[in-house]
Amino acid sequence: MIGFIVRRLMSSALVVVLTSMFVFALFFLGPSDPARPLCDLNGRCTPERLAVLTEAMGFDEPVTEQYAIWAKGLVSDRTVDMGAKYDCDAPCLGISYGSREEVSTELKDKYPATISLAIGGAILYLVIGVTLGTLAAKVRGTLADRGLVTVSLVISSIPYYVVALLAWIYLSLEWGIFPDTSYHALTDGIGPWAYGLLLPWLVLGLTNSTSYARFSRGQMVETLGEDYIRTATAKGLKNNRVIFKHGLRAAIVPVITIFGLDFAYLLVGTVFTEQIFDIDGIGRWGIRALRAPVDFPVVAATVLVGAIIIVIANLLVDILYSVIDPRVRLT
Amino acid sequence: MGLSPVTADELLVDDVVGTAPVAGKSPTQIALERLRKDKVALVCVAVLVTLVLLAVFAPLITKAMGIYWDVTDPRAPTPSEVIDFDGFPLIGPPFQDFTWDHPLGIAPGTGSDNLAYLLYGLRTSLVVALAATVFSTFVGVVIGLLAGFSRGWLDRVLSFVIDLFLSFPALLGMLALAPIVVSNFSGNLDELARAQFFTLIGVLILFGWMFLARLIRGQVLSLREREFIQAAEVIGVPTRQILFKELLPNMVAPMVVATSLALPQFVALEAGLSFLGLGLTSIPSLGKMVADATPYYADYGLYLWAPVLIFLMLTMALNLLGDSVRDAFDPKTRR
Repeated sequence: MIGFIVRRLMSSALVVVLTSMFVFALFFLGPSDPARPLCDLNGRCTPERLAVLTEAMGFDEPVTEQYAIWAKGLVSDRTVDMGAKYDCDAPCLGISYGSREEVSTELKDKYPATISLAIGGAILYLVIGVTLGTLAAKVRGTLADRGLVTVSLVISSIPYYVVALLAWIYLSLEWGIFPDTSYHALTDGIGPWAYGLLLPWLVLGLTNSTSYARFSRGQMVETLGEDYIRTATAKGLKNNRVIFKHGLRAAIVPVITIFGLDFAYLLVGTVFTEQIFDIDGIGRWGIRALRAPVDFPVVAATVLVGAIIIVIANLLVDILYSVIDPRVRLT
Repeated sequence: MGLSPVTADELLVDDVVGTAPVAGKSPTQIALERLRKDKVALVCVAVLVTLVLLAVFAPLITKAMGIYWDVTDPRAPTPSEVIDFDGFPLIGPPFQDFTWDHPLGIAPGTGSDNLAYLLYGLRTSLVVALAATVFSTFVGVVIGLLAGFSRGWLDRVLSFVIDLFLSFPALLGMLALAPIVVSNFSGNLDELARAQFFTLIGVLILFGWMFLARLIRGQVLSLREREFIQAAEVIGVPTRQILFKELLPNMVAPMVVATSLALPQFVALEAGLSFLGLGLTSIPSLGKMVADATPYYADYGLYLWAPVLIFLMLTMALNLLGDSVRDAFDPKTRR
């Protein structure tokens, strides 16, 4: 177990390092001048200004050296020179070209919105999906079961952002059922927080629950065919107890592992949801930074943090799997 | 009752299928037969054929109707001729009557014809998705075959690369890569359009090949232990022939299924990236049209709903057909 975790941690670290190098290389080895976006962002870009900025930012140094400086900033304070000098405390992810703020500070500002969105949406789709899936498995073969499977297939075949866009346009703007969709910090009170996020949660939860419903239905149908379920029924347990206590416990394991990774992807950035409902989180922040001229430090930070979250989630899911299911031995 | 020996053939012919000769069916034939009986699949195919025909003949249709998506086209009406001061079109919906000159109206602001833009956007969607699917399938199959067939270091390296790409936040990677690559081509507009187009396809391939590669690798690992592969190896069949003549035909089913499920995803991704303003901006795209039309939802519903409906038809037909294909190739599903 310990050996497994150590080895996985090492390969996870490798993934994160390679990801950061990849993003870095892409930006700095491209044919265009890396100082260009910064130069374009703040007024007219003259060749002289470009030269000054290239010199100040150290873009004329070898890429490896720039990467070393950037990586060192992750563990120690450094000063970033972008024409003017900026202090950047560790972990330093650079200074945003656009806002001239420390990227790590902005990251902390934006994350609560994304986390709130992800948690609410994830709970909804897990609960709705697993409940519907279990109920469908219970009545499998009937009209209700087939109807549920068909409806879930149809909903899954619609790209998520179309549903989100139409929900926003009609439920929020046109009919005013959810007049306010935006993020309010939890410190403003739990009411406004939940009220503003209600529609995004519902859209995220309902559209994603369909695949969970089908998946948990499949798992449940398989589990209900097991011998121990027949034994439980034979010894006279109530049907609901057999299904929800004995069946669900076994059927939910694979569902949970998929849920872990899905949740990590939500945390990395609910890009479409944030963009459409105008929620000031990581996803929207990253998108804005990507519009030309590219705000490179912000992009690098979002990709790096995203990779770290996904890698950790992968690891946690594997460990959790062995905890929930004692038959799985990690070697 | 005589005791003359009865051959297996005669038994089958007499008892099972009457007088018709027995012909073996390949799994692909069985799957196709199942698909032909699947009503949902047939409807999907009909919808898709219509959409593909519309996209293929887009230049002819627009030429015949005299409509243009590109307002810089010398034959197209200039924006000042068709757009009012408030940005809304002077001809056709939403404020004037329907006209056959512009069946879906004119885009507010830009003045390009909606039907022409929609047809060309459909064309873009299909071309991008098809190219991404073909190339990512090719890359996935080649890497999967190589990794599965070569024991030792090559397999380990390739497996690591597959795992690396799988643990990379793909959507974020795609979002980040496309604009960064494109920002290096800030030349003239034509060059930018071409750069966006090829970058988008490239990015979709880069993050789209791993699933199939892993699948194929697993298949090869199990198949190569089977007798027919061992027999081929023993009698000295060249490796290339074993890979492409013996192994590959056995992987038609997973390949077809993976491809038909990947296609709608690529369509959705292309439109999604363009919707966010990070995909295609200079050539027509359904996603961009939806994004452009969103602010006009209240006054000009047609402008928004035309691309949304076409896009929904395309993705739903592709997705549902993909599901049907998967079921048809899966021996476990009973019909």
